[in-house]
Amino acid sequence: MKAPLETHPKPEAWQIGRLRLRPRLVFAMAVNSLRLRISRTLLTVLTIATASAFLIFLLTLPAQADPAEREGWLLMLGLCLLVSMAGVLNTMLMSITQRYREIGTIKCLGALDGFVLGSVMVEAALLGLVGAGLGLLAGTLLALGLGVAEFGGAAFAHLRFDGFAWKAGLALLTGLLLTTLGAALPAWIASKMPPMEAMRGEK
Amino acid sequence: MDRFENAADGGDARREMSPSDPAASAAVFLEGDARADTTVMTREVVMEYRMGMAVIRALDGIDLTIPTGEYLSIMGPSGSGKTTLFNVIGGLAKPTAGSVFIDEIDVAQLDAGELAWLRCRKIGYIFQSYNIVKVMTALENVTLPMLFAGVPPDEARDRGADILRRVGLADRLLHTPRELSGGQQQRVAIARAFANRPAIILADEPTANLDLRTGEEIIHLMKEMNREQGVTVICSTHDHKMLDISDRIVWMKDGRIDKLARREDVAIEVSHMAEK
Ligand SMILES: Nc1ncnc2c1ncn2[C@@H]1O[C@H](COP(=O)(O)OP(=O)(O)OP(=O)(O)O)[C@@H](O)[C@H]1O
Ligand SMILES: [Mg+2]
Repeated sequence: MKAPLETHPKPEAWQIGRLRLRPRLVFAMAVNSLRLRISRTLLTVLTIATASAFLIFLLTLPAQADPAEREGWLLMLGLCLLVSMAGVLNTMLMSITQRYREIGTIKCLGALDGFVLGSVMVEAALLGLVGAGLGLLAGTLLALGLGVAEFGGAAFAHLRFDGFAWKAGLALLTGLLLTTLGAALPAWIASKMPPMEAMRGEK
Repeated sequence: MDRFENAADGGDARREMSPSDPAASAAVFLEGDARADTTVMTREVVMEYRMGMAVIRALDGIDLTIPTGEYLSIMGPSGSGKTTLFNVIGGLAKPTAGSVFIDEIDVAQLDAGELAWLRCRKIGYIFQSYNIVKVMTALENVTLPMLFAGVPPDEARDRGADILRRVGLADRLLHTPRELSGGQQQRVAIARAFANRPAIILADEPTANLDLRTGEEIIHLMKEMNREQGVTVICSTHDHKMLDISDRIVWMKDGRIDKLARREDVAIEVSHMAEK
């Protein structure tokens, strides 16, 4: 009796290796994912841009003399942030949980936990930064436009562009936190999940 | 001449890696230097799932030794533990007890990076539900494991296109799964599984969602790759016709190996059954 293996070519001996995280691949994956889910991407960007525009608009608006009016604006800002946060959190959560199967699959192909977590977080961070950046631009232009309309050439004297870098940083950070906080927990859970569980989760 | 080659091949270095001494039991199935030619070995593998109070024993002491280059079919009723066995062999799930050796390396000893390497380079998975990444093209699906393995993107693309051509999808490289039929998706999955020239292909009911003819094509494709590349194929199926091309067949029942036979012996039995 002939053992079947004798008819096969002998594969060469191998030694176990170790995969490492490839940051460029992580980044490429994140960008690819954003590109392919473009409608969701745009919607999220829009939500964040609105919040960030509002934030920067209020921060550069001439100081309100009336404290009641100021409180009103702040309340609106708070509400706006809260609403957009809920929206973004929800979108990110959905976006990740819908991807469990895909995540399980790429883990079978050699994705490290860090790759899964990394690509999702980079994706979220890009969303947040781009959204906040656009909002920053829009909010500044809006403040400028309204200022010029009201005060003409004297607008710059009234608008508070002092410490603009700091304010812009705050707006960007807000956008970044909105998306990354929303994505962090589900992404972390997904990245730790054994591939098979991830795949059986969602049909 | 032959003897020299065998001697040169006898992986002495690898022999020392094996923690226990599983070779003794391997010899039950194989003559000669069993260890150098053994790709998968499971020893008393037990897998339990906890469902609230109840404990389900999906695998109940599996001992299997699978020689390099073998085409092994796994049969068994639904719930007998086939998928669970695949997951355990493929390093996708940790067994509750027992060990799995892939080429004499104890999978339980591997860290995350090594396990990822094993999944990426040494094992190709084919699933019943294809599991093609939906947002990627056929070509991107096939190149992904190569990129994980560190193959330069250009080379990965060329190789990916070659393999897709090999499985008969030359004109579907840039299609996404939505634009592919089930059989075509499964071909992409096969191309993807073979992308890194693995040592083992784990195919869990790869034809269950396909019509008979497409299923046969898929199985024959796997068999061809098995012959050409000498890769070990472990394939579960409900279809008796698929047994013809297997070297050996394992029947599972309630998480145990019910029966294990070479194809030659089964052929007799099947014809015997047909007579009844
Ligand atoms: N993640 C899980 N949690 C709990 N029980 C599970 C899990 N996976 C499998 N089981 C149980 O383990 C047993 C074996 O399941 P398995 O999926 O391995 O069977 P199978 O032979 O692949 O069946 P089929 O032919 O239907 O695919 C079943 O009783 C199943 O209910
Ligand atoms: Mg199954």
